[in-house]
Amino acid sequence: MHEVFAATPARLRAARLVSAAGLVALAIALATMPAFASDYTLLVCFKIFKYAALAQAWNLLAGYGGLVSLGSAAFIGIGAYTTAKLTIATGVPLIPAMALGGVTAAIFAALVSPALFRLRGLYFVIATLALASAAQIWMVNWNGLGGASGLYLTVSAPTTRGVYYMSLVIMAAATVLVAGVLRTRLGISLRAVRDNEDAAQEMGLWPFRTKLWAFGLSAAVMGVVGGLQAARLSVIEPYGSFSLQWTIDIVNIAIIGGLGTVSGPLVGAVFVVWLGERLADYPELHVAITGALLILVIRFAPYGLWGSLLRLKGETIWSRLRRRS
Amino acid sequence: MSAYPEPTGPLLETAGLSKHYGGVRAVDELDLEIRTGETLGVIGPNGAGKSTLIGLLSGAIRPSAGVIRFEGEDVTGLPSHRRARLGIGRTHQIPQPFGRMSVLDNLMLGRLYSAGSGYREARRESLGILERTGLAPFAGTLAGELTLLRLKRLELARALALRPRLLLLDEIGAGLVESELAELIDLIKGLRSEVDSILVVEHVIDLIRECSDRVVVLDWGKMLIDGEPEEVLADAKVTAVYLGTGTTQALAPARAAEAASEPAKPLLAARGVTAAYGSFRALHDVSLHVYPGEIVTLLGANGAGKTTTARVLSGMLAPTGGEIVFKGRRIDGLRPHSIVRLGVAHCMEGRRIFSDLTAEENLTLAGRTARSAAERDARLTAVYDLFPVLKKRRGSPGANLSGGQQQMLALGRALMAGPELVIFDEISLGLAPVVVDSLYEALAELNAHGVAMLVIEQNVERGLALADRAYVLEKGVVALSGRPDEIRGDPRLRALYVGEAKGES
Amino acid sequence: MAIPTGHALATALVTGLLLGGLFTVTALGLSLIFGVLRLINLVHGELIVLGAYLSYILLTHASIDPLLGLLVIVPVMFLIGLPLQRILLTPLMGKGAEAPLLTTFGLSIIAQNLFILGFSGDTQALHASYANASLSVAGIDVPQIYAISFGFALVLTAATHLFLKRTAVGCEIRASAEDAGAAEMLGVNVSRVYSLTYGLGAAFAAIGGVLVGLAFSFTPTTGPGYLLTGFAVVVLGGLGSLWGTLLAGLLLGVVESVGAAFWGDGYRDFIGLAAFLIILAIRPRGLFGRAE
Repeated sequence: MHEVFAATPARLRAARLVSAAGLVALAIALATMPAFASDYTLLVCFKIFKYAALAQAWNLLAGYGGLVSLGSAAFIGIGAYTTAKLTIATGVPLIPAMALGGVTAAIFAALVSPALFRLRGLYFVIATLALASAAQIWMVNWNGLGGASGLYLTVSAPTTRGVYYMSLVIMAAATVLVAGVLRTRLGISLRAVRDNEDAAQEMGLWPFRTKLWAFGLSAAVMGVVGGLQAARLSVIEPYGSFSLQWTIDIVNIAIIGGLGTVSGPLVGAVFVVWLGERLADYPELHVAITGALLILVIRFAPYGLWGSLLRLKGETIWSRLRRRS
Repeated sequence: MSAYPEPTGPLLETAGLSKHYGGVRAVDELDLEIRTGETLGVIGPNGAGKSTLIGLLSGAIRPSAGVIRFEGEDVTGLPSHRRARLGIGRTHQIPQPFGRMSVLDNLMLGRLYSAGSGYREARRESLGILERTGLAPFAGTLAGELTLLRLKRLELARALALRPRLLLLDEIGAGLVESELAELIDLIKGLRSEVDSILVVEHVIDLIRECSDRVVVLDWGKMLIDGEPEEVLADAKVTAVYLGTGTTQALAPARAAEAASEPAKPLLAARGVTAAYGSFRALHDVSLHVYPGEIVTLLGANGAGKTTTARVLSGMLAPTGGEIVFKGRRIDGLRPHSIVRLGVAHCMEGRRIFSDLTAEENLTLAGRTARSAAERDARLTAVYDLFPVLKKRRGSPGANLSGGQQQMLALGRALMAGPELVIFDEISLGLAPVVVDSLYEALAELNAHGVAMLVIEQNVERGLALADRAYVLEKGVVALSGRPDEIRGDPRLRALYVGEAKGES
Repeated sequence: MAIPTGHALATALVTGLLLGGLFTVTALGLSLIFGVLRLINLVHGELIVLGAYLSYILLTHASIDPLLGLLVIVPVMFLIGLPLQRILLTPLMGKGAEAPLLTTFGLSIIAQNLFILGFSGDTQALHASYANASLSVAGIDVPQIYAISFGFALVLTAATHLFLKRTAVGCEIRASAEDAGAAEMLGVNVSRVYSLTYGLGAAFAAIGGVLVGLAFSFTPTTGPGYLLTGFAVVVLGGLGSLWGTLLAGLLLGVVESVGAAFWGDGYRDFIGLAAFLIILAIRPRGLFGRAE
């Protein structure tokens, strides 16, 4: 890996300024987009932000924590149903209802954690899949929350702009959350557990609590996104809210983009959604191609497309910025 | 040594500490005491229970019996993360870094948990520790990219980040060259001011000699002797334990000193072989030959590279350099099952019997390389002739055989390939001397039929008694070679195993 | 929830037991692959569905009876499985357990969508006269196809057991499953053993698919459901235990059917999954598993 730039202090400062300016510019662009973009574009962005947030949450658990969960659909569905039921039954406004959707999902995660984390490796993965599947079947059959026909929300659906901004905020919050967590004790603990759980324990860390926190935070974000989805659709039913397709899309995006980096899921979301839009007339082909891409990425670019790109460029300004010590 | 204050009451003590794995007693009713302020060295031959001891003290391994008391409190039932917070820190024999995290982050964990420091404080303190252990320039490097010496320093730094009262060092000197070792010794000596007590488990005798106040020798999981380093290391009993003198009763009959003219072409020739496990360089330059019909013994202290050599020769591990030629053909880089078919069998360390298969199935599986059923059956008969007890237990699942029987089965398996050369790796491990005697008799008989052998043996006397020629490895290179009587008489032999006494060259 | 009558309960027990046979057949291939390669073959469900579709083709285009068609389908699926393992999964050995898992995940997605493209999303079923008939067992009516599946389960389990215990190849497979390094050291071509095992697993999946198609219906997305059931059976039965797989399959069938008798058919799958999760929580290595 050769150096692209010699990182003198002056250049480092300049680079920091440039990247900060770039972020600010991007933020402004995103914030003002509704003023000049079409409804269609806004909805595509909504899709991107939604999936980016979900992939980011999954990334926290799988990329940084090493826990591959195939049960994401459960938390999305729980968030959706909580939001829906709250707005219907108690007239709580939408945004607090979404937040509570996240909280409920986190509580559910906490409840299943003691049993779930007794399982290691592949058993854990299958158990998460079983959990999500069981949740879906339950919701289809239990008429307490609408059963197979689902629930109709009584709040009016947010406008396209509203949906755009809400998803933007959620994505930004998820990214900030994940980036922030990485700097805390939890972030270090998580990565230590991923790299070597036994050695981590000998450092004084209680692995269960670390996994619990990561699982809970991840579930919370997914729950909030579920709530947003419910608001957007105005009617939810278990086949959609708890669908395995959520899990499939999240795994695809996170891995194709790149696990273990904060920017990976964002890039992955942009790429996969873009691909979907191009192949909108051929939905099966789109999914099949995404699956093939997943296989190729795992085989040839295990750090994801974006992750591999970052590594190829070697000692770039970015990595020097990251290693401020 | 007397510059330091006198050690006081025990910081840690064990009573009746035991750990069994099936029939094997890794640690056997051990009563150990580590006093406050002392550095205690623990040595002993392979299988003596040293690493198990560290695992038991740190909480990674649960004892089968016995009690561990830290500062008077019973900690036997505490999981490792609680013990870490109480102040017991350890390093690992094979470094276990958090490979995808930076060196600094590796330390932060310990600081954040044990000291309960805030983030900034933890950073400052961690950087301080990195300074002291010479890792400051690598603070931002990913741990997985470090070289071996630095990984070992990281192990140490990470344990120090816990601000431990008791530091457990697990074979931290293994695999290092002279200069690296000297640096490490200085580092450890310098730790006395910040750590109350240190337990040093080691094979590298120099490190023990330089750093310890007291030395304990373990053998078969029990304490053999303890005392001051110089006394212990000079004690004849300790030498015997390492070199095997006096522990074997009926040695295999010494090979007649045949002045046989060696055939020009060796059956197996290894030249300049190097090998590594990741960043750990195990073999630096190994060259050896085995002539047809010969018995060659490979000796060396633990960690010298004997098993690695065996693995490289049989194809289990690909060498990073050098060449290996068998019957005129290069075999380095071939897969094991191909090498077996060419005529080199490997009776592996630890036996590795298929417990699910019967004894006979273990043998017939190995006989698949035979060209016909008749040939396979002939080989099977030969194995049963050599080990009649296997014929009696042919229908028993591998798991039900005793240790000695399993070793016979492992030997038999190697023979089923109809090899011209067999590599025997530590067949005496964990077995009673009487059983080992019978195994060696079988080897002699086998050799009488023309099978060449490379025998890896920890017990020097046994190995030399059997061999036509021998090599002694040290840190991945051949240090001595020649005929048994030459090696037996070489003064350097003892030093290679038990280290050099003070005052010698 | 409704308390079923004695007769309904008895029916549920018997039906469940026989249905459990079907579960066992769908799980056998998974059990073999998991036990030998330590791989969770996430595309297993799609291999089942592929078997069903192949049978459908033979039935509709050549009027070949599904069970008879197995004579063709089994070898074909075996030949499909062989290269799948060799090309896609072997290069990933040693890169951690997640890589092959996620690769089979990707395969699963691709397969499901190729099915939709090739066969449309319509629900299909394999029609045969014996499939719809009823059998009377001690006064209880059970679908004949369940009994046939039960028979298949017993025969296949016994056959696999004999194959593993009595043949030379079976010996190689067992050895590779226990200690691949040692096996290689004795001359076993472990790589070839793995491919073979995967092919067998695929072939078994196809048999399960044909039975599923006869007993129920299938769509391109039916796979994951049977994957989970198969997995529940394998994990409950314990790693590496063929008879454990059989017993767990029968047990699951009974649990599901009895549960359905109490809570209604909609909850059938839920009860199975819940039982699976609860048992895992109490005994992480399954009912008959070896401690790893």
